[in-house]
Amino acid sequence: MNAGVVTVSIEVAADPHTAFRVFTADIDTWWLRGPKHRFRARGNGRLELEPGVTGRLFERYDDGSVFEIGRVLKWEPGERVVMSWRLPNFAAAEATEVEVRFEPVGEATRVSVEHRGWHALRGDHPARHGLSGREFEMSKARLWGENLAAFRSWIHHDAARPNP
Amino acid sequence: MPKPNSAALDATLLALADPARRRVVELLKVRPHRAGEIAAALALGGPATSKHLKVLRSCALVQEERPADDARVRVYRLRPERLSELKDWLEDVETFWSDQLAAFKGAAEAAARKSAAERAVQPRSRR
Repeated sequence: MNAGVVTVSIEVAADPHTAFRVFTADIDTWWLRGPKHRFRARGNGRLELEPGVTGRLFERYDDGSVFEIGRVLKWEPGERVVMSWRLPNFAAAEATEVEVRFEPVGEATRVSVEHRGWHALRGDHPARHGLSGREFEMSKARLWGENLAAFRSWIHHDAARPNP
Repeated sequence: MPKPNSAALDATLLALADPARRRVVELLKVRPHRAGEIAAALALGGPATSKHLKVLRSCALVQEERPADDARVRVYRLRPERLSELKDWLEDVETFWSDQLAAFKGAAEAAARKSAAERAVQPRSRR
């Protein structure tokens, strides 16, 4: 099973194919607007997701420029789409991954988003203080994997608890 | 969308990418431990353990203390600030996606109602 850093889901009264189509083809119509939700500071980009593996997810701006958020890594209509996911402040080689799953629940669909890979960020960042080059590269390459489920649960339940 | 844009948060994410260091943090969540206890629990040698502790100290996830009654002993204690910061950021990302999915739900359900209405009007026009 997947064990991402962030997993959020919702049930929608639509069949999985409709849900998938709206999520992908109509992404600009429902994706919230404004700087908090869009990718560049002014928050006025139009989102487009090109169908199929290697399709681009990008924002297009009024001046014709484009910011590419990521590429489609897996494209399974009615079931799931996986995309690489970059923010404007990421370095060239950095990317997280977003997986969206569509699972039938009776007549409805459970849509789950898992956003993972945040640990692999920032190769050129001050964060590498305290880590040797080799160790830094190793930790960058390592996936958190299954342990994340446990990690996440203690982050959420106990992080603020002081030591006895 | 929320960006991990503080160097401290980056360092926390990076430090916790290593399972041995996550294990140390788990141990220290229960209570402070001596370096030797940590090495034993991790089944690692002293030098490897020291290296992990050094990384965790450098990003302020743990602090080192020397008990007043025995200066030779080093005790490690978890500092909750960094984990709180990580927790806050994870919650920001979750809120971001929850808000998006709520907006998506409205659009998907409207599309489903529309195609149901179309099917009702023209029952034989499509498969």
